[in-house]
Amino acid sequence: MKKRNIITMIFMDIISLENVSTVYEGERRPAIRDVNLLVKKEELVYVVGPNASGKTTLLETINGLLPIFQGKLSVFGMDAQTHGRKIRCEIGYVPQDFMVNPGEPFTAYDVVMMGRYGKVGFLNRPDEIDEEKIMETMKLLDIEELSPRPMGKLSGGQQQKVMIARALAKDPKIFLLDEPFSNLDPESREKIPALISRIHRKRELTTIIVTHDIYGMLEMCRRVVVMSEGRILDDATPEEALIRMEVSR
Amino acid sequence: MIWLQIELMQRALLGCVFAGFLTGLMGVFVVKMKLTAIGYSMSHGAFAGAALGVATSMNPLITALSFASITAFLIGPIADKARLQADTITSIIFPLNMALAFVFLTLTPEIGLTSQVANVLWGSIISLTNNDLVYMITLCAGTMAIVYFVWKELFAIMFNRKLAEADGINTKPFIYLIILISGIVVTFSIKLVGGLLIYALLFNPASSALQFLEDMRKIIVVSPLIGIGANISGLLVSLFLDIPVGSCIVLVSTVIFGITVLLSPKRKRKMEDKREDKIDK
Repeated sequence: MKKRNIITMIFMDIISLENVSTVYEGERRPAIRDVNLLVKKEELVYVVGPNASGKTTLLETINGLLPIFQGKLSVFGMDAQTHGRKIRCEIGYVPQDFMVNPGEPFTAYDVVMMGRYGKVGFLNRPDEIDEEKIMETMKLLDIEELSPRPMGKLSGGQQQKVMIARALAKDPKIFLLDEPFSNLDPESREKIPALISRIHRKRELTTIIVTHDIYGMLEMCRRVVVMSEGRILDDATPEEALIRMEVSR
Repeated sequence: MIWLQIELMQRALLGCVFAGFLTGLMGVFVVKMKLTAIGYSMSHGAFAGAALGVATSMNPLITALSFASITAFLIGPIADKARLQADTITSIIFPLNMALAFVFLTLTPEIGLTSQVANVLWGSIISLTNNDLVYMITLCAGTMAIVYFVWKELFAIMFNRKLAEADGINTKPFIYLIILISGIVVTFSIKLVGGLLIYALLFNPASSALQFLEDMRKIIVVSPLIGIGANISGLLVSLFLDIPVGSCIVLVSTVIFGITVLLSPKRKRKMEDKREDKIDK
């Protein structure tokens, strides 16, 4: 029985979307519509597509930040509508183009620590274990020396790394990254994708990365989801997806 | 310092300290959580409520608190349902509250511009009672306890509400909690500067502290101190120049804000960045 449970856990769909449509507040047209997507445990999926194709909406829907208009979304086998907060505690999320105003009074350490707050729980305070976890994560991303500096004084690339550290600090089971390489300097653009790929393998994370630059990431993933106008157009290996994209042009 | 021996002045001084502390503290959350539009309407809601209390011979504290709370909790849902920006709703509710306040104040002609009406309009620190001080001390203790216990959640929401939500924090109850406490604080501080100027008491200290500090933990300590300093200085200026206390407090806190803007390292850095950008172009 135990063995069967483990097998089920390994091969189960961690994320499951069935005919999901999401509408932004105040809008009538769904940002994503009739999306069907199954993501297995420890899978690494790239989501690509032109601007306004629904990539960010897809991540925000999975993360429970947007209410579902139609369809069914389950994460870890739980209904996302009713267990949203519990699910979000297990998801590390890096938002798109997140830039902090220059005067913001929060240090890089504060921001990374905030990633653990959901797990620390209501009325509890972060303890030594949480502090160790933060320093370990910052070290992993090579940003320990940024720890006491105000977020607003960091460069775009440094802020991006802090946001990745924040998402990882909570020891997530699912890792959602929205254009995580957009603000990075050329050197970090080489290193960070490889680091994320390494973390994905080492920590056995289920990872979804939204990017518009599929060409640089080909060797890192086995599955690419192509989106356009809020729908999934293709779900294939990177090679197949590239051939179909070339043909359709 | 003979005036300090007068019980009335002792109460006024203590009122300045407690109200300065509370408005300075809550102002930081209101400003950083981007609730200024709600705070603005709420302050004037308290003013309309106090006016209703005077007109109907009810306790102005209770009516002010009811109006402030109703205003605060209506803005969000109305904006959502009507699909309008909170700013748009604020622009409607602010003059509505002002109009209601003046209607209430003229509702009972025999009241006229009595001292009670003047208290609601401009505040009257000398009318502070021992009971008012007890309420304020209780409010200070309660607010500090709440902030201490839910600091981590408030801290994350002040940084970014959407990210706090993504990290598993249910942000709505905390936002409502801040709105509710701010409404109570505004109501109890109305005697200090009056309904027309109460808004400044909530925002000036926090805005001043945010100009020159880069650590939220320091801001949360310094803003109440600025609030207390501005209130006491305003009271002293008012005593020496024989002009209304409320106006003096607001003038002093505005001067403090002006000085912090001039000395702000953040503003200087922004100007330097702009200059460098121009040179680069």
